[in-house]
Amino acid sequence: MKKIDWFFMGSLLALIGIGIMLVYSATNNSELIWYHTEWFKQIIHFAAGFIIAAIIVFLPSKSWKNIAWIAYAISIIALFWVGSSGHISKGAGRWLDIAGFRFQPSEFAKIAYLLVSSLWLSRNRVSLVEPRTLLIPSLLFIVPFILVLKQPNLSTALVFTVITLVHFYWAGFRLVDMFLFVSPVASVIFSTISGLYWNLLIICVFFVSVRFKFPLWLIILVMTVDIGSGYVSQIAWNTMEDHQRNRILTFVDPMRDPKGQGYQVIQSQVAIGSGGLFGKGFGEGSQTNLAFLPEEHTDFIFSVLGEQFGFAGALVVLVLFFVLLLRGISICKLYSDSFINLMVSGICAMFFFHIIVNVAMTVGFMPVTGLPLPFLSYGGSFVLTCMILVGLLINLRLKGKDI
Amino acid sequence: MLSNFQQSEEDIRQEVNLKIFVFICVCIVTFSILLIRLLQLQYFEYDNNLKRAEENRIRKVNIKANRGLILDRNGVVLVRNRPSYQISLMYSGFKSKEVRDSVFDRLLRIKDSSGKRLLDSTILAFSFERGRWQKFRFQRLIEDAAPEVVAIFEEHGEELPGIEILVESRRDYPFGLHGAHIFGYTSEISEQELELPENAHYVMGDRIGKKGLELSYEQEFRGQNGLRFVEVNAMGREMGTVEGMPFITPISGNSIVTTLDWRIQKAAENAIPEGLKGAVVALNPQNGEIYAMVSRPPLDPNIFSLEKRELHKAWASVALDTAKPLTNRAISGLYPPASVFKVITAAAGLDANVISEYTKYKPCLGGLRFGSRYAKCWNARGHGVLNVIGALRESCDVFFYQASLDIGSKRIGDMGRRFGLGSKLGVDIPNERSGLLIDSASYEKWFEKKGWKWSAGEILNIAIGQGALLVTPLQQTVMVGTLASGNGLYRPHFLKEVVSPEGEVIKKVEPEKIGDGKVSEHTRSIILKGLYEVVNAPNGTGRRAIVKDIKVGGKTGSAENPHGDKTHAWFVAVAPLDNPEIAVGVVLENAGGGGAMAAPIAQKVLEAYFYPNNSQGVTK
Repeated sequence: MKKIDWFFMGSLLALIGIGIMLVYSATNNSELIWYHTEWFKQIIHFAAGFIIAAIIVFLPSKSWKNIAWIAYAISIIALFWVGSSGHISKGAGRWLDIAGFRFQPSEFAKIAYLLVSSLWLSRNRVSLVEPRTLLIPSLLFIVPFILVLKQPNLSTALVFTVITLVHFYWAGFRLVDMFLFVSPVASVIFSTISGLYWNLLIICVFFVSVRFKFPLWLIILVMTVDIGSGYVSQIAWNTMEDHQRNRILTFVDPMRDPKGQGYQVIQSQVAIGSGGLFGKGFGEGSQTNLAFLPEEHTDFIFSVLGEQFGFAGALVVLVLFFVLLLRGISICKLYSDSFINLMVSGICAMFFFHIIVNVAMTVGFMPVTGLPLPFLSYGGSFVLTCMILVGLLINLRLKGKDI
Repeated sequence: MLSNFQQSEEDIRQEVNLKIFVFICVCIVTFSILLIRLLQLQYFEYDNNLKRAEENRIRKVNIKANRGLILDRNGVVLVRNRPSYQISLMYSGFKSKEVRDSVFDRLLRIKDSSGKRLLDSTILAFSFERGRWQKFRFQRLIEDAAPEVVAIFEEHGEELPGIEILVESRRDYPFGLHGAHIFGYTSEISEQELELPENAHYVMGDRIGKKGLELSYEQEFRGQNGLRFVEVNAMGREMGTVEGMPFITPISGNSIVTTLDWRIQKAAENAIPEGLKGAVVALNPQNGEIYAMVSRPPLDPNIFSLEKRELHKAWASVALDTAKPLTNRAISGLYPPASVFKVITAAAGLDANVISEYTKYKPCLGGLRFGSRYAKCWNARGHGVLNVIGALRESCDVFFYQASLDIGSKRIGDMGRRFGLGSKLGVDIPNERSGLLIDSASYEKWFEKKGWKWSAGEILNIAIGQGALLVTPLQQTVMVGTLASGNGLYRPHFLKEVVSPEGEVIKKVEPEKIGDGKVSEHTRSIILKGLYEVVNAPNGTGRRAIVKDIKVGGKTGSAENPHGDKTHAWFVAVAPLDNPEIAVGVVLENAGGGGAMAAPIAQKVLEAYFYPNNSQGVTK
């Protein structure tokens, strides 16, 4: 039971191998010599990642509880710091230079928030009908969320949101609670799309809350917030300047601007589509080689995969991801401890969200948010984050009994 | 169910299992949606997407940064950039074998105005084969194509898919050969150079400074390359930049303002008679700013911008030339200092109070018997009895033979070192040499291999600047200039200011004192008298350096050398003598006497400095 999970390890190593291969084929066109190339740096990132993961595996599981608050405090300070003095890269102040190393505090804030949220929710319950139980966990969430959102880094801010939602679910929310909990956000979105959907949503919320016998004050509160937010957002939408509205519309649907925002998505779809069922072969493919895709080795690495290895390659990678998630979430079955459960579910949710959002973006289903694909995308900070999370998963699997 | 604190172990287990089940269901559903979408793109819309990929018309293009300029102290542009056209081939531009064959056929038939074929099948085949390995990189067919050739290709562009005209920036020298040794040149970075860690930021095809200022200030000149995405037509020709794509503006390199004064440089270049080898240096001894530096035979920097095959030919011709046109003789040429060195011998004696202006030796009768040797004076008729000033004026060897026996080699060596001889001065272009300055102590160590021993007579040679002494023209000029100014030894340099592309001064060079370079005021006044009389006294050796209304001092030299029957002609001038602003050093190989050959050149350079409007200098 406590021995190494070979399915998990096998999928992980296969994904990392495929990732380095893809980064190589996406960047070997560059005119740099080999030790300045991205693929070589990526190998270094993973080497460093493996060392850190190995250290994490051998630490006692209890230590996560001990460092949770300190890590959280440090990451909040670091986020404040980049907010004021961050290195501006591509218009977003996300980077921090420490002793010659550039890293993104938001990456490590994800882990710190995961620890703190798990710790708090393992000791305190949350319930929709008792709003005061939501106060502290919401505060823990909202501070890093706003700091990251201000960078601006919407996609990472959404990662915090996903961790929070999954944690609330794991800590006691039912699916129906979740539904009422996120209904104001749905109301905002639906109100701008179509009045009909919005009406349906409000009716739905009403019937669900009555059917599941929520207290009257909660039904009134939820209905008021939902209808209010719907109206406010509609008024806001109508009073917006055209260019602001266009920016939002283009963000949601990049195809509105095929030369700008939509360009990358179109090129990415063409790259994937032209790969066919079995791809053009490793290192082949005009899309990636001619660099039609900017950021092809970071955010659009899945397009490189799709073009060079076709549907078969994409299927293999998605199956590997699925195995990874499946084996990861199954750790919850081994222990009934709620801290472990929350940690594991949070980590798996994080991976899941990255995978889904990234792949959906490359196939044109979602806005271009700049969320990288775990183990495949190029990037030092993100590789380290992923390897730390993997280290935590293995550690909890092997040593969960210590908690 | 709302709280797991009152639940039994079994309830919790069930609840966790339910949540895991929900999570896995969400995974399966979302992954399935993605797979269906992939199937749609890669199977159902495959043909359409493949066609779109093949017709894709967007390319990533590096924008090379403009290299910084080189200017003279008054803002005259000495080195600038010009566009250079490269006819190139891209492997991926040939959609089929038939297209390739027809394009190659057309290429082979293209001729220039003289009816010469521009390309041969070997080059085409070679570039095509190389392209096979670098499918999406351009292979150069014609480097630095002439405007008429570019016109031909532009005209036939539509018939030649896969062939493109790329524009690069190359160095241009508005003044041709002038100053070539100072500027150095640029060339394409080699693969070996690319592998050096310090060249991490270069890419293939970048040009890098070689030699001269181009090498010394490479980091200032190069700037930062940019990047853009362009749309191309079906022939592969650029149609314009794609909006909304990343666009990185290149950052031009910084320009440098040199200490050169182009009027003086031009006067010096023009003053040297055709066919002679040698060097001229003009500088300000009070701060080390170099006004002009000429080395002959000249070097044409344009040859390094030539097409590769032409370059190899041109390179071979200059590299194998026995006259060594590649060498910058002003800093790398080593010559015996000859009689110019007598100022050091005199200063060493005077400063140590071994001799004074009243010291007289045996009269010069055209030579001196020393042991078994008879050391000749250059003037076989003799100079009679002279004091140190007269001996400098008439450059009497016999006086200095006798004085040196009293002074000793150590004092002479120390005095030479004090004024920068025997070591590099640290000028800011590469390949400076240190010369040779040795006394009795270091002599045997130096010539150990040859087994030479220091003999007492060796000092006679040293005293008149022959024997184990070698200097560069730069050292010689700095030495006399510093001795005359009495204000210290300054590092000679070319860099005055570094200027950003926006015209902002980023860096200003301050004079750097590298040595005390001092003798007593009394010694200096006697040396100055001697220098003055060399030029101005009726029987001075340097009378041809006189400049109207300017107090010019100087010293002649005629170096005997084993390589020719005629002596190397030396002249170093300083003016105005009371507060020197400029020192000019001239050496001409195997040209004859310094007073006759070198002094008139120094005079022309001085005239360019003091009367800029009368000389044929450049007009701004």
